[in-house]
Order: sequence, then C-alpha cells, then structure tokens
Amino acid sequence: MLRYTVFRTAQMVVVVFGVVTLVFFILRFASGDPARMMNPPGQPEDIVQLTREKIGTDKPLMVQYWNYVFGLARGDLGKSFHGGQPVLNELLKVFPNTAMLAVTTILFSSTVALILGIGAALRANGAFDRLVLVYVAVALATPSFWLGIVLVLIFAITLDWLPAIDMEGPKSFVLPVITLSVMLTPVLIRTIRQSFLETLSDDHIRAARARGIPERRVILVHGLKVAALPLVTLIGLQLGMILAGSYVVEYIFNWPGIGKLTLDAVAGRNFPMIQGGVLVAALAFVIVNFIVDLIYAALDPRIRMSAK
Amino acid sequence: MTDRAKAGISPEPEAAALPARAHTLRQLLKRRTFIIGATGLILIVLIALFAPFLSPHDPLKQELANSLAPPFWAEGGSFDHPLGTDTLGRDVASRLMYGARNSLVIAFFAVLLASVLGLAAGLSAGFSRGWWDSVLMRFGDIQLAFPFILLAITILGILPDRNAVTLILVIGIPTWILYARVVRSRVLVERDKDYVLGAKAIGASRMRQMGRYILPSVWTAVLVIAMLDFGYVILLESTLSFLGFGLTPPTPSWGSILAEGKRNLLNAPWLAILPGLAIMVTVLAINLTADGAADVLDPKLKISVFRRLPQRKPTNGSLTDPESEDAGSTRPEPADPKDEVEPPTLLKVCDLSVEFPLEDKVVKAVRHVSFDVHRGRTLGIVGESGSGKSVSASSIIQLIEPPGRVTSGEILFEGRDLTRISNDDMTQLRGTKIGMIYQNPTSSLNPVLSIGSQMVETIRLHLKGSPAEARDIASRALLKVGIGNPQAILSQFPFQLSGGMNQRVMIALAMHTQPDLLIADEPSSALDVTTQAVVLERLREITREHQTSLILITHDIALVAEFADEILVMYAGQVCEVGPIRSVIDEARHPYTRALLQSVPRAEIESGTRLQAIPGELPDPAALPPGCPFADRCVSVMDICRQVNPSQVRVGPHHDVACHLWSSNKNEEKV
Repeated sequence: MLRYTVFRTAQMVVVVFGVVTLVFFILRFASGDPARMMNPPGQPEDIVQLTREKIGTDKPLMVQYWNYVFGLARGDLGKSFHGGQPVLNELLKVFPNTAMLAVTTILFSSTVALILGIGAALRANGAFDRLVLVYVAVALATPSFWLGIVLVLIFAITLDWLPAIDMEGPKSFVLPVITLSVMLTPVLIRTIRQSFLETLSDDHIRAARARGIPERRVILVHGLKVAALPLVTLIGLQLGMILAGSYVVEYIFNWPGIGKLTLDAVAGRNFPMIQGGVLVAALAFVIVNFIVDLIYAALDPRIRMSAK
Repeated sequence: MTDRAKAGISPEPEAAALPARAHTLRQLLKRRTFIIGATGLILIVLIALFAPFLSPHDPLKQELANSLAPPFWAEGGSFDHPLGTDTLGRDVASRLMYGARNSLVIAFFAVLLASVLGLAAGLSAGFSRGWWDSVLMRFGDIQLAFPFILLAITILGILPDRNAVTLILVIGIPTWILYARVVRSRVLVERDKDYVLGAKAIGASRMRQMGRYILPSVWTAVLVIAMLDFGYVILLESTLSFLGFGLTPPTPSWGSILAEGKRNLLNAPWLAILPGLAIMVTVLAINLTADGAADVLDPKLKISVFRRLPQRKPTNGSLTDPESEDAGSTRPEPADPKDEVEPPTLLKVCDLSVEFPLEDKVVKAVRHVSFDVHRGRTLGIVGESGSGKSVSASSIIQLIEPPGRVTSGEILFEGRDLTRISNDDMTQLRGTKIGMIYQNPTSSLNPVLSIGSQMVETIRLHLKGSPAEARDIASRALLKVGIGNPQAILSQFPFQLSGGMNQRVMIALAMHTQPDLLIADEPSSALDVTTQAVVLERLREITREHQTSLILITHDIALVAEFADEILVMYAGQVCEVGPIRSVIDEARHPYTRALLQSVPRAEIESGTRLQAIPGELPDPAALPPGCPFADRCVSVMDICRQVNPSQVRVGPHHDVACHLWSSNKNEEKV
C-alpha cells in the first residue's frame, strides 16, 4: 500500500510538472508579446519595454522558467500581469465556485444515471430502455454551449423562472448543473446500463435468486454492489470532461470560477494566471483520480486484499 | 457464453463462409440506426460538398442594411434569406452550409491524423515490445492522466492566428493514444497466433507480417474508433469556435455563428438555435452510423448500445404453443401396476418443453421431457453440453435464462405446478423447499460480499433470527460440510477460497434449510479430481441425512452410476432413456447410452481396449431433423430413424427408451 501511494504520488508530480512546463513554454513560444498587447497600438517601443520589465518577460526564457519553478516550490504562483495581484489569491477566491459546481453536477448526474441506467437494464429492449437510449444518443450529440444558451432562452428569458447569469443563490445552480449533466450523463448511463446487464447475467445473481433472495434485494444489493464499481472509476475519468465543460458553462453563465478566470486570462495573455488555472485543473484531476482509486479499492475487496 | 452453450444455442455461423464484403454490407443494412445515421450523414456531406451551388448567397457578403433579418417562418422573414441574416447582414443559410464544410473537413483530417498516428504507434509498440513499447505507452499514460482539451483551449486561445491546419493539429494529435492502445492490444493478440507465427517461420519480413497478416485484423477497430471520434471532434471544434478559439473570423463555422447568436439572444434567438441544431443533427447522424457499424465491423469492441439484446421475458408463467408439437413424442406410459413399489413422488415433470426465441430462429432446448423424482432418492441426468439437461433443471426452479420460456408441460412439486405459480410463491420455495448448486462455485458467490454476509443474509431470510444467531447457524452449517475453521472462512471473500471450498459453502448455503429437493448442476465439474470426490461425498452424506431428493446433473455417466438411484439420459433436448440405475447401466438399450458407457474408462474393461469417443456433433437445436436427433451419429441407424422421431417405449420395470430399435418390436418387448 505504501509503495503504491509513493508510486502514485510520484506519478502525480510528474504529470502536473509536465503539464505546467508544457504550458509555460507554449505560452512563451506560441503567443504574441503580452507587453505589446497590454499597451495601446502605436505605443513607442521604450514604453512597451518598461511594461516588459514590469511583468518580467524581458528576462531570458530559462531565467523566467527557473523563477517560475522556484516560485512554485515555495507556493508562489507569480503575480497577475494585469493589476499585479498574487495569482494564488485569485485562484483560491474562485476555486470554491468551480468545486461547488462540479460536486453538485457529479452528485446530480450519478443519481440520474443510476436510476436511468438500472431502469433501462432491468427492462432491456423495453419501452423505457428505448427511451433512455434515445436520450443517450441525443444528449451525446448536443453541444453543451448550445444547450446552455437554449436553456437560458427558455427558462430565464421567456419564462423568467431562473436567473440567466451570475452566481447568486441556489437557483443559479440549476441551469449550469443541467447543462453539465446533459454532457456527463450519456456516458455514465451507458456504462451503468452495460455493467448492470453484464452483472445481471452473472452466475452469482442467478445463484442468489436460486437461494430465494427477493428480486429487489438481488438487484439493489447483489447487483448494485458489483455493477456500480465502474461508475466510481468513470467519474474520476470524467472529471476532465467536467472541468472542460465548466470552462464553457462558466463562460456562458458568467460563473466566477477557474474556467472563466482561465479564459479571461487567455484572452488577456495573462501568462501567470493561465499557468495558475492549468495548474489547478491538473492538480484537481490527478488528486481526484487518486482518491477515486482509493474508494474503488475500499469498495472492491478483490483489489483491497491484493494491495495489502 | 457457457450458458448459451448449455442452452443449446450454437454460435453464429462463421461469417467467413460468405463473401466478406457483401456480407458486412448486408448486416449493416439490417440495422435501422445505421440506415438512419448513414442517410443523414450522406445528406450533410452532400450539402457541404455542393455548398457553392446550393447556398443562396456568398457567405461573406455583408448587407448592413439588412442585418438580423428573421427566417422565413417568422414575421418579416422572406425566402431571399430563408434562415435570416446575422448582425452584418450575411446570409445565415449560406454560412451554415459553408460552416458544415469547414467543420467536416477539419474533423475529418483531425481524425485521419489521429488514427494514422495511433495506428503507427500501436503497430510499432505492439510489434517491437521492448523499450519502444514502454516509452510510447508510458507517454500515453501521462497524456491520459490530464484532460488534454484544457491544454488545447489554452494553446488555441493564445495563438494570434488560427487556420484549418492549426486546428487539425491541436485537435488531432492528442487523441492518438485512443487508437494506439486498441491497436497495440490487438497486435499483441494477433502476433502470437498460428498463422502469423507460420508466416514468420517461412521468413516473411516484419513489414509483410504487419501489412498482410496483422493490419486486416486491426483496421476495423481503427475505423470504428475513428467514426466515434469523428462526432466528438465536431463537437470539440464547434466548442472551440464558440469560445472564440476556432477559425479566425470571418470564416464561417457553426460555433462562431452560435457565439454571435449568444450576443443577440434577445432580438435574434434563431441565430443561436439554428447552428446548434445543425451540429446536433450532424453528430447524431455520425454517432448512429458509428454505433451500427461498430456492432457489425468489430463486435469485440462492445461499443454499440443500440444492438438488439435478447428479449427479456418474465421467467415464470408458461406459454403454450400448439405448433411446437413434435411428431414422435409422447408422455411415458402410465406406470405398470405390476412394477415394484417406489417411494412417493416429490417432483413430477410432464411433457416439459423449453424454447429460446432468438432474433431469427427458435432454439428448442428441451422437448417434451418427462421424469419423476422420488422422495429421498437421487436422479442423475446425463448428457453432453447442449442436451438440455441444465435448462430442464433451471425450469424446475423457474430461473431459465432469458429469452428462454416454457412452452408446454407442467412441473408438479408436491402437487403444485411450478410453471403456473406466482413469482412470489416461487421465491418462497427457492432456498427453502428447493435448493440449487451450480457448476462454478466461485463465480456463484457474490465477489464483493464476504462469505459470512452472504450466509447470514440467506439464513436470516429463511429462518429469521438475529445476525448473531444466523452467524452461529452458518458456522454449524459449514462444519457439516467439512469446513474445520468456519469462523475464519466466514470473514473471507470467495476469491480467497479454493473452488472446492466455495462449493462446500454453496452446499451449506443450499442445505441449511433442509430442502426437500436439491438440484446440483455439474457440482463437481469445475473442481479438480480429488476435490470432486470429497465434495460429492459430502453432498451424498448431507442429502441422505436430511432425506433430501437430489437431481444430479452431469456429463459424466460414471458419476451417475455411482451416486444415483435413477438415471435420465438426454440428447438434443429429448429423453433417450430413463430408468433405474442398475437396469439402465447393465442393460442399456439406446445406442447413445451404450456409446456413453463405452466412452467411460472402467476398471472392468481390460487394458488395451480403446476408449470409444462418439463421432459427430449434436444437431443444431434451431434446425432439428425430422427424425431421431441421434440418427447421424448412431451406429445402428435405420431408414425410419431419419423420418420419424421415436416415441418412448417401456423395455423393463420403469425403464423406458426412445429408439426405433425397440419400438419396431414393441409388442414382443412389452412383457
């Protein structure tokens, strides 16, 4: 177990470090000069040079990189190009908003997916199953940014039931969470349905029925315990999709989260802020997946025992 | 799979027998999802292709005087701009058509790039193994450990100028790993197959081995993944355009039209809705095409969701099908009053037939089978896999695998017809009055629940009592089946125990309620020989002690000879021979029974006598011959055997046989 934790931690460090390094160099090579962008067009070169000195892009590339990595090690993510606030503070300010959105989405999506997936599997080929599969196919093809806009059009503008943008109170969660869930649930439903169908034809389900265990218990205890395992792993893997989706959703709903922060930073060539946003996403992704693996091991004795 | 085999369902006929391409196409055209998807996709591609001819206007031509004109169905709309205009007065219909062009071209080349990269990486990794394989796969792991789309957004966002090539590169390159993994695993499977090894042995070069022998088996997988990826990439591209990271304006793309719509949501909602619909319909068409194709081209990938599954029907309740009457079958004649007195009958199966309706055929797994089980006695049912013995047993406990169903007959257990009682009543009987043990003990126990929790659950269900009491009963039940350390076993999980140990747990689980009938379906086949003997001995002891009737299902006639009081020999869903064990073993009448007996190594047979295997195979249960199903393999086959299915005739006390050898001189035989 200890070896596993050490191995996984090392792997996480490599991944996160690789990602931030990649982003650091891509930003410096592929982007235009941020200092020039921060000045009005036609500004004399010496004034732009002053800006460069202020934000530190005048130094040689490797020096900039060294400073960045050295800062990271001390928990210093640099200062925003615009306004000079410490990046870490800005990230910490908006991180809870994205986290709340993500957690609500995961809870909502898994519940919906469990109900629909199990229901569909229990009556495979039945009317309900067909209906669920049609939903899966349509939802899989729906662009989430479009759905977000259509939802705003219907529920915020036409019906005026829910707030269109900004994060103010529980009501404002409804549309963003639905938008993200329509993106997330098709994959979850498909997996649960498939895994349930497979589990239902397992020998141990047949044997449980043969022992006289009531059908409801066979499905909800014996079936679910086995069939829900893939869901746990899947949610970890889908976190990337949720994060990417939250970029879009935060952009549409003007949600003050990591996604919106990063997109704004990209638009303004605010390098330290972009690096910070990507760092948070990378960290969240690897840490959540590590936790998911631990949960999986706790749920499945086959893994738990072999890890000891 | 084993269940299907048991049910007598033969695998699909080999596709290779038909001209492969025509066959695949025909299979594809049978799928409704594929037809709908492919038709839609072709239409969209045609529109994109002929956009210059179809579009009413130049997509870039601005008409500022006529900005945000509504579509034709709205007030003030006209057919000059059927779908309205955008803020700069550009024709939306034309922009959508050209947008389709851009989206499809970018997606197509991104997918092509990814699949070529992935194919090359997968092939080389799988073929070389070694360090190159490790490097590629570790790199892939790291890439998969981070959602690459976030990086794509960042990269595209900061580029000052984006054209189709940058988009193709940024979208295409990251997905190589999806293809590489599948290709690599296929190569690893294929490269050790005989025909590739053979090619290697005759000196085929590496390139030739790859190109000629391995590529054909991986290209379908790549094609299927590419099609699924295609839909995703179109969504991704439009998302990027929407965020403003797509093609540099004014090039039309669905995402950028939508973004403009977002800014004019209040006064021109169609501007946002229409491109979204276009994206949705396109991706839906692609996904449906891919889904249908996945199932036909590469069923191993198991991606398809719209595949027709076998119909699930409630297992209880019999359906009578008058057309299923077979010519030659009858119920056994009524018991002769002169026969010796037998213990009372516990279970009486009469004229039982079970069918599995499949997509295009009906598998008759059990046909007009009748037998009795007496109190305290053991009935052995013998037959090859596919003979219908397991299906007969499953119908007693009313747990036939879907879509199987009882089509005729009755199963009388203590006078109640089990094919007609309610689900709840049947659940009540299971585990209390009728117990069942299956072939694979380890997979018959829930893998994630401990032995203890499964036993306590079952015991509390049947005997009530507190968890502690149930645990007590459980450990006593385990002691009875010869498990010396029940407390330790109770806290363990099935995967930690041996097959023999698990089977003892299963016996303890089935026997703690002292049922009247225990059905053991190949209880020892999955165990090694020494464990087999121990488990069977325990089974015999415990059923004797409780006066439990036992149905022992096996393919091993020697086992039945040792353990059973009566024997039922089944072939292709029918009864061949049934009777008291001594009578049948010593005076086997049916050529199949004789052949089975000859195939068993016996001490009496002097060494040097060769064991006789029965040549031939079971007939296809979906296309049974009109005559005796055993005719093709029978050494004594006569003309009549191929025309008429023999009925059962009595050849001795309680000894019946279904064979024309005996029915032709029926009158003399019947003493």
